[in-house]
Amino acid sequence: MSFIVVENVGKIYGASAGGAPARVLAGVSFNIREGEFVALMGPSGSGKTTLLTVVGAMNHPTEGRVAVDGIDVYALSEERRADFRREYLGFVFQQHHLMPYLSAVENVMLPLATVRTPSREKRERAMAALGKVGLGSLAARLPNQLSGGEQGRLAIARAVVNAPPLLLADEPTGALDTRTGEEVMSVLLDLNARGQTVLLVTHNPDNAARAGRVLHMRDGALAGETAGVPRRPAAAGEVLMTTSS
Amino acid sequence: MRISTIAWANLRRRKSRAALLVAGVAIGIATAVALLTLSRSISEEIGLQLDQFGANIVVVPKSDQLALDYGGVAVAAAAFDVGELTDEDARRIREIPYANRLAVVAPKLLGAVDAGGRKVVVAGVDFESEYALKRWWRVVGEKPEGAGELLVGHDAAQALGLIEPAAEDASRPLAPTSTNTVDASQHATMSAEEHAAMSRAAPQHFRITRDRLTLSGREFRVAGVLAPTGGREDALVFAGLAEVQSLLNRPGRLSLVEVSALCKDCPVEDIVGQIAQKLPGAKVSALQQAVRARAEAVGRLTQFGAAVSAVVLLIAALLIFTTTTGAVVERTKEIGVMRAVGFRRAHIVKEMMLEVLAVSALGGALGWAAGAAASWALMPYFSQTGRGFEVDPALAGLALFAALAVGALSSLYPTLRASRLDPSEAVRHV
Repeated sequence: MSFIVVENVGKIYGASAGGAPARVLAGVSFNIREGEFVALMGPSGSGKTTLLTVVGAMNHPTEGRVAVDGIDVYALSEERRADFRREYLGFVFQQHHLMPYLSAVENVMLPLATVRTPSREKRERAMAALGKVGLGSLAARLPNQLSGGEQGRLAIARAVVNAPPLLLADEPTGALDTRTGEEVMSVLLDLNARGQTVLLVTHNPDNAARAGRVLHMRDGALAGETAGVPRRPAAAGEVLMTTSS
Repeated sequence: MRISTIAWANLRRRKSRAALLVAGVAIGIATAVALLTLSRSISEEIGLQLDQFGANIVVVPKSDQLALDYGGVAVAAAAFDVGELTDEDARRIREIPYANRLAVVAPKLLGAVDAGGRKVVVAGVDFESEYALKRWWRVVGEKPEGAGELLVGHDAAQALGLIEPAAEDASRPLAPTSTNTVDASQHATMSAEEHAAMSRAAPQHFRITRDRLTLSGREFRVAGVLAPTGGREDALVFAGLAEVQSLLNRPGRLSLVEVSALCKDCPVEDIVGQIAQKLPGAKVSALQQAVRARAEAVGRLTQFGAAVSAVVLLIAALLIFTTTTGAVVERTKEIGVMRAVGFRRAHIVKEMMLEVLAVSALGGALGWAAGAAASWALMPYFSQTGRGFEVDPALAGLALFAALAVGALSSLYPTLRASRLDPSEAVRHV
C-alpha cells in the first residue's frame, strides 16, 4: 500500500490574487511506499520545490489530492494541518533555516516546543537525534559556531527529532561543497536505511542516483521515472552515521 | 524547550531593540503615572480647600411662604410658624450615614428686630461653626465668644452708626481696595492658617466707634464688625443662637442649617438625599455652583493629565507597533520554519505576544517606579501643602495593566499578520 499518494496535483499561482496566473504544477501523480528514498530531479523552475511543499502540507494545491498515510492532507483545517506537519513530517531546507539565537540542542527541540512533554524528555529526544547525526558533543553550540556540514546535519536532526514517518529534504546539499554535501547525504541515506521514508529534491544527479527511485520533472509535470540504487535495510543496532564531527 | 524559551532567547538576541521598547513603554507609563498622581493629589487638595470654603448644602423648612433671603437661599419667613426647623433637626443631621463627611453643621435663626428705631435682620448662629464655615470673614475688633456679644456686618454697622473711617486713613474709601480684596478663588486655595493670618493682618479702614447696641430692648456689646464681604452677611447682625431664639421668642427654632460636606469621594447628592430622608419636613438643597466649580477644576486637571498621558501612551503604542511590524518582516523565514515544523497560528501569536508582554511588563514596572519618583520630586512645585504623594498599589497595578494592554493591542495586528504568513512562502523569503 502506498504511503504517499499524489493524484493529479496542479498549482496555479496568482489565480486568486487577480494577477496573471502562472501554472507551476500540472497533473502530477505518483505514489511513494513506506521506507522508500525518492529523489525529485529537474531543472530550476520545473516545480520541484513547489511539489515538495504541496506534499509537505504547506501549500494548498489548486487541484488534485495529496494523501499521506491515508490522510487527505488538504481536507484538514489550517491548524490541524499544522499538527499533521508536526506529527508526520520532517523538513530539511536548502539554507537549513536554523534559529541563530538557539543552541544546537534547542534548534533540534524546536518541533517539540508545542508538544506537552516534560522538558527533560524533550532534551533527551533532541540529544538522541543529535547523536544520530554525530553532533552529540556540539549540543551547546550556536549554529554560527558550526561548519556548513554540521549545520546541515543539525537541520536533519531537527527534522527527525519527532520521529516523523516522512522526511522532506529540499536540496539540502545545494549550498554545500562536495565534502560537506556528502556528510548530509550520508545521514539521509543512513536514516533511510533505518526505514525512514525520504523525498529529496535535488539538482545533483549523483545524489539522485543514490535514491531508490528518481522522479524527473519538467515544466511543472512529471517527465519520467528512473530506478536508483536499491537500498538495503540496516541491521538492528548498526551504527549508521560514520561521519565524524 | 517551550515557546517561552524561544521568546526569551529572541529578546536576548535583540537586546537593544528590547531596551528601546522597554524605554518607550516606561516613558509612556511614567508620564501617565506622574500626571495621574499629580492631578489626583492636586484635585484632592483643591477639593479639601473648596470643602473648607463654605457651605455646599443648605437645609431650610418646607414652605410655600418665602419672605427672607439669606446668602442667595430663600428662607421661610420668620413670621410663619409653619415649617420651621429645630435644634433637634440640626442634631439629627449629624446622624446620617455620611456623617463623617460633614465638616461643619451651622444652624441659624433669622428674624427682624428693632435696633434703636431701625429694623435689622439678626442672625442667631453658633459662632464656632460659623467661623469654620466662613473662613474668608475678617473681623475688625474681636470675635464674639460669649453671651451678650455681637458681630455686625459692615453695611449694618454703617447704617447703625457703629463705625467710622479709621482716623489715620480717613481719606481712603471705607471698603478695602482691590489689592486687599480676597475673592472666592483665592479663598479656595488658602489654608485655614492663611485665613487666620490674613484676618489678623487685615487693614482696618474703619474703626468701631460705638460698642453697644440695643436689640428689641436688650443691650449687647459689639465685639467686632465684619470687613465687607460683598455678600448678604454685610447687612446682618450676628448673635449667639440661643440669645436670638430668646430675642425672637422662638426657643429651639431654626430658620436654616448650612452644611459643609467633604465631598471628595462622595456625590453631594447622596448627602442631600440622606439629610432629606432624615428631615422629611425640610427642603435640602445643594449649592451646585460651588460643587460644580470644584468639579470643573478637578475635571480639567484630570482631563489634562489624561490627554497628555493618552498622547504619550499612543506614541509608545506606535513604537511597539512599528517595532513589532519590523520584527515580523525580519523574522518571516523563522516564522515560516516554525509553521513548517508544526507551530499553529496560535503558537506564533503566543511566541510573539510573550516577547511584547515581557517587554511591556518590564516597561510598565520601570515606568511606574519612574512616574512615582517624578511625582514625589515634583509634588512640592505643584502642591502648596505638599500632601498627597503616597505609594498606591492600585496605581501600580493599573500601570502594569495599562502597559500590558498597550503592548498587546499595539502588537496585535502585526502578530496576527505573522501568524497568517504562508509557511511555504515564508521559508523562501529573502
